[in-house]
Amino acid sequence: MGKIVDGFRFVPPALRAWLSQDVPSEPFNGYIPWTALRKPVKQLTFSLMTSAGINIKSDPPFNMEREKREPTWGDPTCREIPEYTTERDIDVNHLHINTSYIKQDINVMLPVKRFKEFEEEGIIGRLAPTCYSYYGFQLDAAVLLDTTMPKVAAKLSEEGVDAVLLTPA
Amino acid sequence: MEESGFSTVVLTPTPEYHRKIGFPRVAAIAYPYGRVVGEVHDSGGQRAVLLEVLSVFEKAERAGEVYHLPFTWPEDPKDTKWHPSEMSPIVKLLLDKIKKARKEAGDR
Repeated sequence: MGKIVDGFRFVPPALRAWLSQDVPSEPFNGYIPWTALRKPVKQLTFSLMTSAGINIKSDPPFNMEREKREPTWGDPTCREIPEYTTERDIDVNHLHINTSYIKQDINVMLPVKRFKEFEEEGIIGRLAPTCYSYYGFQLDAAVLLDTTMPKVAAKLSEEGVDAVLLTPA
Repeated sequence: MEESGFSTVVLTPTPEYHRKIGFPRVAAIAYPYGRVVGEVHDSGGQRAVLLEVLSVFEKAERAGEVYHLPFTWPEDPKDTKWHPSEMSPIVKLLLDKIKKARKEAGDR
């Protein structure tokens, strides 16, 4: 039997016990949307999207101060991250992970350089000009899903994106 | 994203949440939060992970498939330092409930 990932392997026992309460014991049996690949991977245009709280320095950071005042609130906005962005160009704000690794190497969560290499080697069609970061702590995701993401989807369409890699923090 | 016509893969360290939400394609990886693609400046390791992710895009045939990637993080979990330097606001708020959950899990 192959490897089975234990999703709580890295969390301490108390947090594991609490987080596990939120996980159903049965497989998901509801509706899952599906868009089949229309072309082989080597012809696809990709974008990347992470919930790691990354912004380029010319954009405002995600709002940590409001979350500290209102612990059940998470910033529902999104930031555009251009395809050539490096760790020197970004700030990272997140109250639930250690952000120091992303600040050393953006690719550990938003692998823009790796995907540009794949583009140059013909492994993928291309990386779209714009990638994205939002903020992953969303107890109520209504604003993120209903207001923020439609704008992101519109831009993905404008740039001819076929596929998106999502990297939750 | 998927409903809007984009094919997606989520590269996640916590595939268990798929049971709650239902993702179109899941690439599960036993890496710590904040470094799901790999170690800092390890371009070869990151590349290996991402090539596996691209294969998930290609081989998934129907919604809800989960692929467990064959990578092992080189550190012991307690040495990974993935957590923030200060307890998050929500954990501070719910600390009593978290401790209770721990106690109940230990009692079982």
